[in-house]
Amino acid sequence: MSEKATTYEVMAAAIARELRDHELWFLGMSTGPQTILLLTRLPIVAMALAQHTHSPNSWMLVAGWVMNPVVGQVPTRMESEFGTSLGEWPCEAYNNSLAMSYSAARHEIDVGFGSAAQVDKYGNCNTVAIGSYERPKVRLVGPINQPGHFSLFGREIIIVPHEKRNFVDRVDFVSGAGYLDGPGCREELGLKRGGPCMILTDKAVFRFDPETRLAMLASVHPGITLDEIVAETGYTHSYVPAEIEQTPLPTPDELRLMRELLDPNARMLPR
Amino acid sequence: MQPDIKVRTLSEAAALVPSGCRIHFGGMAVHNHPMAFVRQLLRQGTTNLTVVSHVSAIDVDMLIGEDRVRRLEFSYVGLEEFGTAPCFRRAVQNGQLELSEYSEPVAFERFACSARGMPFFTTREMVGTDIPAVNTDILEVSDPFGTGTYHAISAAEPEWVVIHAPMADEYGNVLFFPHRQLPEDLDLTASRTSRNVIVTVEQIVSHDRVRQLPYLNLIPRFRTTAVVEVPYGAHPCSCLHVYDQDREHLEHYATAARDPASFGQYLDKYVYGLADEAEYLERVGAAQLARLRQIGGGLQ
Repeated sequence: MSEKATTYEVMAAAIARELRDHELWFLGMSTGPQTILLLTRLPIVAMALAQHTHSPNSWMLVAGWVMNPVVGQVPTRMESEFGTSLGEWPCEAYNNSLAMSYSAARHEIDVGFGSAAQVDKYGNCNTVAIGSYERPKVRLVGPINQPGHFSLFGREIIIVPHEKRNFVDRVDFVSGAGYLDGPGCREELGLKRGGPCMILTDKAVFRFDPETRLAMLASVHPGITLDEIVAETGYTHSYVPAEIEQTPLPTPDELRLMRELLDPNARMLPR
Repeated sequence: MQPDIKVRTLSEAAALVPSGCRIHFGGMAVHNHPMAFVRQLLRQGTTNLTVVSHVSAIDVDMLIGEDRVRRLEFSYVGLEEFGTAPCFRRAVQNGQLELSEYSEPVAFERFACSARGMPFFTTREMVGTDIPAVNTDILEVSDPFGTGTYHAISAAEPEWVVIHAPMADEYGNVLFFPHRQLPEDLDLTASRTSRNVIVTVEQIVSHDRVRQLPYLNLIPRFRTTAVVEVPYGAHPCSCLHVYDQDREHLEHYATAARDPASFGQYLDKYVYGLADEAEYLERVGAAQLARLRQIGGGLQ
């Protein structure tokens, strides 16, 4: 494969490397075209890539009800969580009832994907309100399924566009509980597992320091400079490590799988 | 002896719903909302509603935009790919709406709890979030069996339930397709939470059809108060397996509703300026409606 990988392909490969075999992965709904691309279509390609490279025993829950779709044969771009055309995706199983064949409350889901208007230095997420709750500056859509992603799932991959306003010191409202106010907070509330494992943007990857629980810059995507990251990151804590790594490019095999098998018509990821 | 005929006109059915009541509108996200019924409530002046919902969209947004909703119990109001719900956003930012919000599975479970006749259930799903701090309806309880503390959540208990479905007979038996998606299944659950259930349908079919397909009769007539034939009654939302959501229309709404003046123009064009839903279909246009048709889609 001679062509250069796109940013979306770099991101998909980064997600795929974060996923493991024998896991349940859950993908929910999102709002707005940009979020649907980053939080719905990108993880679908990434999960399929993982299934084709290292995780054949994993199980993909798209919108919680279309399971293990044959991603390369998907007839639509997936703009909604439901719909007549989504019901025509070739897949391995469907859930057509509220009584699902898996249980989030029993902690059966290993990985979820989330986004937010604000994500803070401890990985707390906000999809409810900017400003005060009673008289918000901007009212957002509501908590939807975010609370459970952070309290019931094994780990959460946060995906946000890399813009300064998205990265805040403290979210105005916690709809997804990251590490709250730092070390020990989750444990005190009895949240024995779960929480965010990475923040993936179109420019970089952040991971959480196991001691301080602070979001730290883990790698920068190819072609992006540190200055660009700093200019678009609103965090005030020291998040830049001494040595900056580059987010690995997809391998030639991963790139071939994405372009030829999983997304042959670029319906999922623009390129 | 013949059973009662449950068929009503849209205005007759809408007149059953009193101002000030506690009501659930079926559907989820941009699918299967009883939009014709919502438009008729707007025309008839019904107001001061407490809406108990889970994942709402243009249905609740329009009612909020016209100040018909006093209180909203919910998890989400938005337009999926078309962005946030403009009227909801404006009303909350102006402090005009009483909110009681929950996570999505909890909002679903409130209806399942009602359907089982249970007054409340418990969960730890929202632990760590700020939701219990701002929602005074969420109470803390200890498990009498000694496993710790939980959030207690009240059952949904709507006084009125209005849903949109594919077919019903004139006695009020409501038929669903066999391969349902979650929005349809949530509607079935909601239909079991009240004795005041209004169902708008794409088509009234013969009672013989029901007898031939009794396994599709998932809301039997003892549950229904009224059925109303309203073709395209979920437009601009989808009616799953019958037609898709009208993406152009929803996109237009998402823009128009951002500003009170253009929202007013939208309502004049599609609600107040039209005598009934037949005129609504003419206004949307046969060509556009035909483009949305997906009969039998998703029934593989």
